[in-house]
Amino acid sequence: MANALGGAKETLGEELLYDRSARTRWRLGFDKWIGRLLPLLFIVAILPILDLVYYVASNALPTLTWTILTSTNPYAPDALGVPIISTAEMMTAATLVAVVLGLFGGVATAEFLSDRTAAIVRTSANMLVGTPSVVLGYMGYFLFCVRFGWGLTFIAGAFTLAFFMTPYIFRIADLAFTSIPRHIREAALGSGARPYQYVVRVGAPIAFPQILNGVFLAMAIGVGETAPIVLTTTASKVLPTGAFSPVSFLTATIWENFSQPSGSPEIALAFQAALLVVIVVVGLNVIVRIISARYQRRLEGLFQ
Amino acid sequence: MLRQLGPFIVASVPIIILLLIVLVLIFATGFANLGSSFWGSDWNPPKAWGIAVFVVGSFVTAIPALFLAMAIGLGLAIASTVYLPRWATRILDPFVDLLAGIPSVVYGIWGYLLVAPYFGKVLNPWVYAHFSFIPGFGGRAPISDGLGLPISIFLLTLMALPITTLLIRDSLRSLPRELWESGLGMGATRWEATRRIAIPYGSRGILSAGFLGFGRAFGETVAVAMVLNVMAAYPVNFYSATGTMASQMFLNLDAAFGSSSWLAALSYMALVLLAISLAVNLIGRRLVARVVSYEVAGL
Amino acid sequence: MSGTLPDAGGPVISVQHLSVKARARAILDDINLDFGRSSLTAVIGPSGCGKTTFVRTLNRMAELTPGLTVEGSVLYLGQNIYDTQVNPVMVRRRIGMVFQRPTVFPTSVFENAAFGLRLIHEDEDTIDKRVTEGLQQAGLWEEVKDDLDRAALSLSGGQQQRLCIARALSVQPKVILLDEPCSALDPAATQRVEATMEFLKQNYVLILVTHNVGQAARVSDRIAVLSSGRLIEVGATADVLERPQQAFTEQFITGRFT
Ligand SMILES: Nc1ncnc2c1ncn2[C@@H]1O[C@H](COP(=O)(O)OP(=O)(O)O)[C@@H](O)[C@H]1O
Ligand SMILES: [Mg+2]
Repeated sequence: MANALGGAKETLGEELLYDRSARTRWRLGFDKWIGRLLPLLFIVAILPILDLVYYVASNALPTLTWTILTSTNPYAPDALGVPIISTAEMMTAATLVAVVLGLFGGVATAEFLSDRTAAIVRTSANMLVGTPSVVLGYMGYFLFCVRFGWGLTFIAGAFTLAFFMTPYIFRIADLAFTSIPRHIREAALGSGARPYQYVVRVGAPIAFPQILNGVFLAMAIGVGETAPIVLTTTASKVLPTGAFSPVSFLTATIWENFSQPSGSPEIALAFQAALLVVIVVVGLNVIVRIISARYQRRLEGLFQ
Repeated sequence: MLRQLGPFIVASVPIIILLLIVLVLIFATGFANLGSSFWGSDWNPPKAWGIAVFVVGSFVTAIPALFLAMAIGLGLAIASTVYLPRWATRILDPFVDLLAGIPSVVYGIWGYLLVAPYFGKVLNPWVYAHFSFIPGFGGRAPISDGLGLPISIFLLTLMALPITTLLIRDSLRSLPRELWESGLGMGATRWEATRRIAIPYGSRGILSAGFLGFGRAFGETVAVAMVLNVMAAYPVNFYSATGTMASQMFLNLDAAFGSSSWLAALSYMALVLLAISLAVNLIGRRLVARVVSYEVAGL
Repeated sequence: MSGTLPDAGGPVISVQHLSVKARARAILDDINLDFGRSSLTAVIGPSGCGKTTFVRTLNRMAELTPGLTVEGSVLYLGQNIYDTQVNPVMVRRRIGMVFQRPTVFPTSVFENAAFGLRLIHEDEDTIDKRVTEGLQQAGLWEEVKDDLDRAALSLSGGQQQRLCIARALSVQPKVILLDEPCSALDPAATQRVEATMEFLKQNYVLILVTHNVGQAARVSDRIAVLSSGRLIEVGATADVLERPQQAFTEQFITGRFT
């Protein structure tokens, strides 16, 4: 046998050092260089982000004043107060609806459905996340604006946005409850708690941080949406006065003004709106990251 | 089953919304018969309703973006799971996740005002000058405003990248430690163990990343509407404009107002877009078990 | 020492002043031990005493665990494998490893056995030949020769473990480290793997980690006893088992530890 020790061909330990066959050199060199080159791909991800944020900020900040942020003057070309306040109102309304729909749905899926039924419901939540937002906008338009006769108004936009946000909250609520360690659930039920008592008294406090996370996440995604809003509302220069009045939205402001001539107050407004949206989205994402890191540690603690 | 009825009604919210979308779109078509032109290439309202241009346009923009996002995503995932030290991935990975958070309208304004002119003045003419011998890269010269396929594909790549990267990363990380170590224990280099063990082991997840990344690019609306210079024509070459279903739907709802056949055409288009998106998503999610990192990241 | 075969050119592996630390904690403490040709050395000791860590330092697998620092040297045919110029990839080709649980790759039986050969671009004839040899030496050939394309994961646990041995053999190493290779197997499969080891020790240096004294008694020529990271006794199997020098060894082999 060729590999028998003390046999025909004796190799020394130095071959470890001096094995310099072309194939070996190629293998080791390839591994070394691919390990150095692949991380450079991060430039592809990092450069656009930095460039985008810098570009938006550098076009938004020079002309940004406190007055622009707060002015609700409908005749001023450079007033952001209306979109800012409208966005806050729309987001509040949409989040409330989405939390009601998503939270209860998610908890019911995690705690009360059989595995098979839950799988169907989860799949449809995933499908909903995968539905192009323009299609959802069409649904909102045809259902709320046309069929219900609400027109392009606050309530039509808020409901469409709420439908858009619901599956995200739904999935996280479901996840938050399914990831509670089994023994905690069994201990609660074993000591005589009804399922709903377990959910309210034991499960909810544990799941709360992650559910809050899901709500922030859905808000971050919702506040950046454009198509469903533009399709179901009409741009307004004044604050909404009720559910059935026209309304504006920060992303809609960007959409309406992005092709204005450079140097005009309108294009500056678009950049300022963009900067605000980016700040809100990134801020929410940072909060989400912080909460979920803490939550993960807590959850790990529960497993001990 | 009966005991489950109450919870089921509460839990069925996503099913109801999904059904609502389908039913509303079906009724929005008014069951109008748009004639034989519907699957054709001639979109010329109110005479012809050929949506083929937009179906093709959606694929022509999404597929190159998908390939780029898969290639870059695979590289990023390997870099961060195999080669980079932990402290480095902790700093670098969040940038990829952040790409998913930037709203598409912000991508759009950046793309339209800053990147498109660069494509128009520098990149496209350079590619045209040096690579026009490749079929599809010659012919009509690129226009200097830079709007069209290249910039659209560029933005779609950035938008699909977080999805592909995240899921490929997850698939590679799912490799049991012992398998990885027994590869290295055989004298495989890290690259060889990645290519011959980790990638085959995670192949379903990687395939799934492809489907879901495609779904993201295929349905993207606003950014494409801003930089594609949407028109109802097949692209004549790499630099030209075309239309996608999503952008066409988005830009034409106003114009269609009052014309029942125009609304019907757009609604049919919405159904086609929805059907393809859902099919792609369903396959993509079926390939892997529940992807928790996705739900947490909102993808 | 085992002494059944002539010691032509010194030990194959010589461990000198080897210590391993995790942060401040010592996991292995100043180990000195030689492994001669064509022998099977069993490393025994209670669980947590550092057996796994020890064998993993012998082919530089230990450095895959973050936080471990290795001091001292391990000479392979006179060459320190911890020299900065030595690439661990080259070390592991010569010093193969079989793990506690079978680690077959999710491909066919053939491709598993051919894994290491594909890496160095052997031609198909060589691959066929070495895969066959590897499977024969591992005692698996008769069971799989009719269908080498079947999925490796469809084999039984014992067959998978022998496939892992065949995979390690195919690249013609001199040393094979086996870390409790039978701990996940039933008695019948254990017996097959032990038979395989007894056959292999005629031609390879085998280092077997086990916490099973019976197994050490059955297959090994020599026993090394570890306790809390220190090597407390080495000797021919019969000597150690019948006349242990250390009280700890005696307690361990009479089953007062697990
Ligand atoms: N990476 C590590 N960090 C800290 N301690 C470790 C690490 N790996 C192993 N240990 C410790 O080293 C000791 C020896 O472990 P091991 O070699 O696995 O023992 P054995 O295989 O004999 O059961 C154990 O006490 C274990 O807790
Ligand atoms: Mg061990």
